[in-house]
Amino acid sequence: MSAFTTAARYTRLTWYLSAVSLHRLTEYRMDFALGAGGLLLRVGGQLAVVGMVFRQVPVIAGWNFHQVLFLLGFSLLPRGLDRLFTDQLWILARRLVQSGEFYRYLIRPVHPLYALLSERFLYPDGFGELVTGVAITWYAADQLDLGPSAGRLLLVPLLVLCGALILASIKTAFAALSFWTTNSFPALYAANQLGDFAGYPLDLYHPSLRWLLTWLLPYAFTAYAPASYLLFGATDLLRWLPVVTAALAALALLVWHRGVDRYEMTGS
Amino acid sequence: MTAAATWHRRTPLAVTWRRYTPFAAASLQGLLQYRSTFVINAVTATTAVGLQVFLWRAVYAGRTGGLPGGYDLPELTTYVLLAQMLALLQASRVDEEVAGEVQRGDIAVSLLRPVSYPLARFAAGLPVSLVNAGTVAVPVVLLYALLLPLSAPSWAGGLLFALSAGLSLVIGFGVNLLVGLAGFVTTNIWGVRIVKDSVVAFFAGQVVPLALMPGPLAAVAHLLPFQALVDGPLRLLLGHYRGPAEAAGILAGQAGWAVGLTALAALAWRGAVRRVEVLGG
Repeated sequence: MSAFTTAARYTRLTWYLSAVSLHRLTEYRMDFALGAGGLLLRVGGQLAVVGMVFRQVPVIAGWNFHQVLFLLGFSLLPRGLDRLFTDQLWILARRLVQSGEFYRYLIRPVHPLYALLSERFLYPDGFGELVTGVAITWYAADQLDLGPSAGRLLLVPLLVLCGALILASIKTAFAALSFWTTNSFPALYAANQLGDFAGYPLDLYHPSLRWLLTWLLPYAFTAYAPASYLLFGATDLLRWLPVVTAALAALALLVWHRGVDRYEMTGS
Repeated sequence: MTAAATWHRRTPLAVTWRRYTPFAAASLQGLLQYRSTFVINAVTATTAVGLQVFLWRAVYAGRTGGLPGGYDLPELTTYVLLAQMLALLQASRVDEEVAGEVQRGDIAVSLLRPVSYPLARFAAGLPVSLVNAGTVAVPVVLLYALLLPLSAPSWAGGLLFALSAGLSLVIGFGVNLLVGLAGFVTTNIWGVRIVKDSVVAFFAGQVVPLALMPGPLAAVAHLLPFQALVDGPLRLLLGHYRGPAEAAGILAGQAGWAVGLTALAALAWRGAVRRVEVLGG
C-alpha cells in the first residue's frame, strides 16, 4: 500500500512539474526553435547517410532501405522519451558536483535523483524526436506493408519504455561517475555518442563491436532488438530485454547511491 | 648594424611568442590533470571509427559494379579512419570554453589582459590538438593499420596532407571560435553546438566522403568552408585530384578559408566586445 501511495505521489508530482516545464517552453521560444531545428538537422543528417548508403547498394547486411529506415525511426522513440525526462543528468555530469551545487537535491523531500530530474522536464528536443520518430517509423512500416498483429502493436509502447529505461540507466550511471571524478561529462558524451549507432543494423559490425553494443553498453536493446522482432520476428535477443532493463536500472541506481554517499558538501 | 636590424625585426615575433606561451602551458597543465580523458577519447575514437569503417566496408562489399566514389577498399577505409582522426584534432573545445566564459562573465577578466583574445585562445587550443594527435590519433591509426588493409600514401601525398591538415586546424579553430562567440547572442549555446557538430561533420565529409554524395549536395558542400576540414586534406593524401593545378586549388581554397574565417572571428570578437561594454556601462 505504501509503495502504491509513493508511486501515486511521484506520478502526481511529475504531472504537475511537467506542466510547469511546458509553461517555461512557451516563455523561451528561442530555446525551443534551436532545440527543434538542431534535432531536425541531426535526424536529417542520419537520413541522408542512409540515403547515400542505399544509393550505392540495394541491400546492406541483409537489410533493405525501408527496413533500415524503420530501425532508424524506431531508435528515435526511446531516445525522445528518455530525453523528455532525464536530460538534467547532463548538467550533473558537467557541473553540479564540481561547483558543489548538488547539495540542493539532498535536502528536498523526494528521492535525490527525482529531485534532480524534476528540475526540468519535457525538453523540446524530446518532443521533436518522438514526432519525427513516429513519422519515419510509420512511413517505413507502410512502405514495407507491415501489417502488425494487435499483440505486436500493443507490445510497441512497452518496447519503447524499456528502451528509454535502458538509455536513462546508462546516462544515470555515467553522470553519477562525476561524484568520483567531479566532471564526468567526457565519459557521458562518449557513451552517448556510441548510442547513435543503435540506429544502424548491428549485423554490419565486427562481432566484438556487436558484443560491446549488446552486453556492455546495451544500446542494441533500444532499437535493434525490437526492430528485428517487429520486422523479422526475431526473438533471440528480445527475450533478454526485460532482464537487461532490470539489471541495468539496478546497476545505475547502485552507482548513483554509492556516488551520493560519497558526495561531500563544499562547506562554502 | 645588420645585427641590430635583425634584432629589431625579430623582436615582435619573440615578444608574441613569450606572451602566448603561458596560455599554451596552462592549457597543457589543465589537460594533464584529467588524464582519464585521453583513455576515454581513445576508446570512443576506436569504437566510433570501427562503426564507420564497417558501415562503408559493407557498402563496398555489397556494390554491384564500379568503385563507390572512385575509392577502392583500402582508400575508403583510410578515408573514413583519418576523417575521424582529423575531426578529433579539430575538436579543441574552444567553442565550449569561450561560451562558458561569456556565460559566467569571466570574459571581463580576459578583456583586461594585454593580449589578443583570439590568439590566446588559439595558443590554448593548440596543445589540446597536439596531445590528442599523440595520445589518440597515432595509436588508433597504428591499431587499424594492423587490423585492416589501408592505403599507404606517397611522399608527395603525405607532405601535402601535413600542410593541408595544418590549415584545417586553423579553419576548425575559426569555426569553433565563431560558435563560442555566439554565446554573446544566444543563451542556449548547447543547442548551437549540437547544430554545429552535426552540420560541420556532415559537410566536412566526416560521415560520408563528399565523392559519394549526390551532385547537388556535393556542390553545396564544396561551397562551404567545412569541406576544407576533412575532405580537402584526405583528397590530397589519397591523390584524388586531377593534376597539380587541382591540388594547388585545394590548398589555395583552404588558405582562403583560413584567412577569411580568422578575419570574420576577429570582426565578431570586436563586435562582441562592444556589446559587453554596452552591457557593463
